Amino acid sequence: MGLKVAIVGCGKIADAHVEEARKIPGVEVVAVCDQEPIMAEQLAVRYAIPRWYTDCAEMLSASSPNVLHITTPPQSHLALTRQAVSAGCHIFMEKPVALVHADVEALIAAVVEAKKKLAVNYWPNFEVQALELHRLYDSGVLGEAVHIESYTGYDLAGEFGLALRRDPDHWVHRLPGKLFQNMMDHVLNKIVPFLDDDDPYIHAIAYKRDGGTGDAETSEILDELRVIIKGRQTSAYATFCANARPVGQTLRVYGTKNTAHLDFNARTLVLERKQSFPSALGRLRPPFQVAGDYLRQGMRNVGRFRRHEFHFFDGMRTLLTEFYKCIENDTDPPIAYREILRVSALMEQIFAQVYPEVRP
Amino acid sequence: MKILVTGAGGFLGVNVVERLLAHGHSNIRCFLRDKSKAARVEGLAAANPGCKLEICCGNLKSKADCARAVADAEIVIHLAAGLKGAPAELFVDSVVTARNLLEALGARTEPPIVETRVVLVSSFGVYGVVGLGRGARVDESTPLEQFPERRDPYSHSKLRQEQLVREYQQKLGFELVVLRPGVIYGPGGGAFSNRVGIQVGPVFVHMGGGNLLPLSYVANCAEAIVVAATHPEAAGQVYNVHDDEMPTASGYLQAYKKHVKKLRSVRLPYFATRFLAGRLEGYHRRSQGQLPAIITRYKAAAAWGGNTFSNAKLRGLGWRPLVSTQDGMMRTFEYLRSQPESK
Repeated sequence: MGLKVAIVGCGKIADAHVEEARKIPGVEVVAVCDQEPIMAEQLAVRYAIPRWYTDCAEMLSASSPNVLHITTPPQSHLALTRQAVSAGCHIFMEKPVALVHADVEALIAAVVEAKKKLAVNYWPNFEVQALELHRLYDSGVLGEAVHIESYTGYDLAGEFGLALRRDPDHWVHRLPGKLFQNMMDHVLNKIVPFLDDDDPYIHAIAYKRDGGTGDAETSEILDELRVIIKGRQTSAYATFCANARPVGQTLRVYGTKNTAHLDFNARTLVLERKQSFPSALGRLRPPFQVAGDYLRQGMRNVGRFRRHEFHFFDGMRTLLTEFYKCIENDTDPPIAYREILRVSALMEQIFAQVYPEVRP
Repeated sequence: MKILVTGAGGFLGVNVVERLLAHGHSNIRCFLRDKSKAARVEGLAAANPGCKLEICCGNLKSKADCARAVADAEIVIHLAAGLKGAPAELFVDSVVTARNLLEALGARTEPPIVETRVVLVSSFGVYGVVGLGRGARVDESTPLEQFPERRDPYSHSKLRQEQLVREYQQKLGFELVVLRPGVIYGPGGGAFSNRVGIQVGPVFVHMGGGNLLPLSYVANCAEAIVVAATHPEAAGQVYNVHDDEMPTASGYLQAYKKHVKKLRSVRLPYFATRFLAGRLEGYHRRSQGQLPAIITRYKAAAAWGGNTFSNAKLRGLGWRPLVSTQDGMMRTFEYLRSQPESK
């Protein structure tokens, strides 16, 4: 693989993009760009990247990257994508893709029209256990999906949370779906592959539970969101929760044959199986089965750690590897555009319910 | 004379405002980001009814807020900076904000920029101490760090901030005074500097050993800032800030254990720290960052290499500590003892 990568947007998440892209053999990060020169410079200096720019067009022209990673706030994604595909770049993009669904459609259309490829950083879905869950589902072990529960926790006192709490002008506050819009991709993109309906029933409620920052402008951020989704044969609960501890990230798929529980933080995937033993014996067995599953998962994780395959952003490296391969081989991108569009459409409906006064 | 203090609601900022009042300055603009931190400044305003103590809330990321902050100020004491968080966040909070503040100063017409003094509170972290050798003295003539990217992100961002302020001083022509405090401590601050050691799970790993700890009690540091900010001879100068008496890192740790709470600690001699740092660095490289390189040999040499320090230049300006190290430590320990986490 011989790919030149450039990054536009030198905030916190750009560090992960540089680190994970560089781990892939043959990939070189050739330049970074940010409107703020100090930010472009600091990223280039810290990672010894040869060039930094404050103008994306200049970077694309001077460094001729094959792939542009867009890690700016979503307000700029559509314009940057159009600019980059015109310059011959494929696009790897941070979520959320754009402010509104229409922009996501326009963005994908621009990529397709330019015959380029796009992937969005849905990295948890490319963790080893998440890929294994999809293999189980595809092979019929779970049966048909009856119900999905996707849960994502958030820490408003954490590194990312504090940044937006302290700054009333933070770009997250200007999103139509505010804090939720920055996080719901990761909740919904785990549901969408199992959902059998492009236009499901949606009921969303949001509320504030946090004590606030003392700052009137940021202390009113809604920080809890619950969504009920009902497709033709499959239903789902999507939960965003900023107050429960530990800050979890889980996915439970209830199938007609078995149920799978994936814990993204613990990196475990366990099956809850239909019992064949009768009566009390059938109730005695499950804890031992689940304990065995956890033990095996733990041992596999130890093996991955020993092989240096247990990084925080391992899923991102896998996704990037798949994306770069699809560019080289001119095959389908690792995330179907239809899935990206369905996530975006669901988000727009949810935000219309929880922030009805906001008109993007 | 109007004096602006950025970061006025913070640990050091409140003390600086207090010392300015004590020195008879009565026209002070306190700029702070977080309204919830205004209580102590409001208390100072209530206690000094004859003084004009203006509380100005805003964010130095905003150019409009910066313009409001610097309006009419003849002395700008710039304390606001990022202390923790991701590297990008530190650069925004320390370097971008400093640039915005200086741009606002440059755009202002009155008072003239050449009659304005900027007082930057920098850090000991900007010195390039790695090659100096054990026991070498760090003073204002010590060269600056040549490889900031090999240091911790805080030191890197503070060095870039200082460089940027110097670039703007050349461009705009204001008077610049730079203070580089050592370890600022006191009630309201933290318990340990990395120079003493770091908490790893339930154990405190003590790497500082017999190294001198360049402590600066928060009121003494604030006094130094005010003295330098207002002294005519300080223009264009740099001052290291630490107290006269400096305990060793192990002395500080023992006193903490005696006066605050018991603490499980393991002493790691410097050679062992360097050895482990080398192993961790190697593992970090081989594993492509599976465990973070929190400690590298370079960082270990910077933090625990063992230097001596001098505050002679600051004393020459007339600064004297208000609180002895013994008293400062006792006050700090009393505060730490009262915190819920110490019980």
